[in-house]
Amino acid sequence: MAPEDPVTVSPPPPPPPPTPSLKTKIARRFVKSLAEVWTSRKLATEGGVRKRARRIKIAAYSSMARAVGGSRRAWSRALLAKLQGRAKRRCHLRSQRCLGLKRKRAGSRNMVRNEVSGSDKLRRLVPGGKAMDLCNLLEETSHFVQCLATQVKVMQSIADRYSV
Amino acid sequence: MDSDDKDKFEPAKQNEDPMDFNSASISSDWQFCGANLSSAPMNLIRPGNSMAVCREDLIGSSSCSSAPMADSFGPALWDQPSTMENLGFVNVSAQNNLSTSNLLGIQKVGPESVRGDIGWNPPSSMLKEGLFVPRGLGTFPIPECLPHFPTDSGFIERAARFSCFGGGNLSSMVNPFGIPENAGLYPIAGGLVLGPRDILPVSCPKPVSGAQSEKNEMNVEACRDVHLAATRGTPQGSSLINEGESESLARSRGEAKQGATAGSSNESDEAEFSGGGGGGQDNPSMLEGTGGEGSAKVFDCKKRKWSGEDAEIDKGKGAPQLAETTKDDGRTQQKLENNPSSNTSKATAKNNKPGSQGSDPQKQEYIHVRARRGQATNSHSLAERVRREKISERMKFLQDLVPGCSKVTGKAVMLDEIINYVQSLQRQVEFLSMKLATVNPRLDFNIEGLLAKDLLHSRAGPSSTLGLSHDMPIPFPPMHLPPHGLIQGGPAGIGRPADPLRRAMQNQMTPLAGGFKEPSQLPHPWEDELNNVVQMGFVGSGGSGAAPSGQDAEGPPPPPSHTKVEM
Repeated sequence: MAPEDPVTVSPPPPPPPPTPSLKTKIARRFVKSLAEVWTSRKLATEGGVRKRARRIKIAAYSSMARAVGGSRRAWSRALLAKLQGRAKRRCHLRSQRCLGLKRKRAGSRNMVRNEVSGSDKLRRLVPGGKAMDLCNLLEETSHFVQCLATQVKVMQSIADRYSV
Repeated sequence: MDSDDKDKFEPAKQNEDPMDFNSASISSDWQFCGANLSSAPMNLIRPGNSMAVCREDLIGSSSCSSAPMADSFGPALWDQPSTMENLGFVNVSAQNNLSTSNLLGIQKVGPESVRGDIGWNPPSSMLKEGLFVPRGLGTFPIPECLPHFPTDSGFIERAARFSCFGGGNLSSMVNPFGIPENAGLYPIAGGLVLGPRDILPVSCPKPVSGAQSEKNEMNVEACRDVHLAATRGTPQGSSLINEGESESLARSRGEAKQGATAGSSNESDEAEFSGGGGGGQDNPSMLEGTGGEGSAKVFDCKKRKWSGEDAEIDKGKGAPQLAETTKDDGRTQQKLENNPSSNTSKATAKNNKPGSQGSDPQKQEYIHVRARRGQATNSHSLAERVRREKISERMKFLQDLVPGCSKVTGKAVMLDEIINYVQSLQRQVEFLSMKLATVNPRLDFNIEGLLAKDLLHSRAGPSSTLGLSHDMPIPFPPMHLPPHGLIQGGPAGIGRPADPLRRAMQNQMTPLAGGFKEPSQLPHPWEDELNNVVQMGFVGSGGSGAAPSGQDAEGPPPPPSHTKVEM
């Protein structure tokens, strides 16, 4: 998503610990791509806020997914795939999603109604959750929530810095 | 002592259990067959008597080591085994021996010890129970106990193995223990019945047994109470044995209700009875040796009773028939009885399992229950249980992650909470990206500085959520408005309105911050005060709630289509 400038690659002033925290990883990636969005002339002049916001959002999600290790987690895999092939596969995905949902409903008929709807909702929220069973879904959800919360924190701190 | 025993018991149990289960179940079945089909009452009684003899020795020594027992007892038993039953006993006892010897740490190699332990057969089975029960009791703050059971992979295996046999629940764990107990019951019951019979003329055994059954029942109920109360460790063990016997007797009388009244007031009696009943078995000593939990007074009572009973038992070596008939009755009755008890045990949560063992041992022995439990242990339900455990575990984990979810109970509500949280986070990301998009940093902004600051900030404060709230009052409204007006104005006007708004925003910003670079340094001295002040006013609406709410105001028009496409 974010091609690396030689300028931006310089290490952060505090020497990074051997295993940088999730927040650090996310922040580094996100700041890079954010800088890219901010510095791109094209977006600044003609893009408009909304387009830039979309770009930033994509940058946020992809940096989050990459920070986790790209394809290590189901949700990050699904997220990256979705972000990358978004435009191409939109129709295809939609039809697939319908099919998937139908199948899920049929399969989980004997579950409690509330739980079905809840887990289905959750499936829609967690990327790649449509193909998971409840166990995996919950696991992925927990990880996803962690990362998302971290991402939100990073974004908030950046926003704080620049919005005052 | 207690902890030691536990420690010992855990590994020993794991090692010994599978074997023990197999052996116990098989042998017990066998035994039942023998007892029911082949009428060999005399043989049955014998062991009991011999037991009694052994017990005397034991009482004399009152030690865990069964060496004297073995000597005195081994030959007697081995002389007898002309019938199936004896064989069955031997099997059971032998296996019990293996396990119990492991448990106790009394490693005795050679046939002698085994035989001696055969004499111990009932006690050994009882021993297990005693061991088991104290454990449950000692760690009665159940959660501690619990992990052993469900997490024990061996347990599942075992349960699977005993699908035809054991219960799906922990009761299956107890089953194997209980079954040997049954096996042990024979001699014990013989001894028990004999004792009273000796006192009374043999011609009228029924009333006597009835009376005893009542007493025993009291014991049983009291024992249950004790189990639940988790006050006493050893009496249970002994009383458990009594339970086995007394149940068979008492149930045959059909007086299951008395025990309810038999509360703490009966405790002394219970102790005595348990001593007396258990006198037939070598329990108390074994239990105390192993369980170690036993209260001294209980032990004394038992001892007293023992001596008394031993004498009785020695005297009364007749009337095995009665014992058998009563036992049979008891069995049938117990079958009936097991249903409610098993139901109750199921009703109690998993947590209660260790505690409910006390009531479990009674159930295990019966084929009916086995069948019922067998249903619960087929592979499907086992897998389902595992799955449910996993799910609940992850739910717990999620509960920790999602704020405000800790108080919620119930999976559905929790799921809703999680969904809300994820949604709010996603909305927050969207909102923040919008916010960041509206920020127009100078071209000379420094990524390194940003990163450094960001990292520093991230390290300095987990208060990044607060960060939002503390700068909300000033920049947020203008920031927030532009997209709003922009979107409502229509997609056509996107480019235009944004610029003036942004300009206005920057106008607002610059007087406040007095430049672009400064704000990063400025807020720091303020931060504490600002945090304190602003937090007061804004945390209610700010914090995590602020962004979503702000997003809500603006969100609905764009995001629905937006999010679906994007995410």
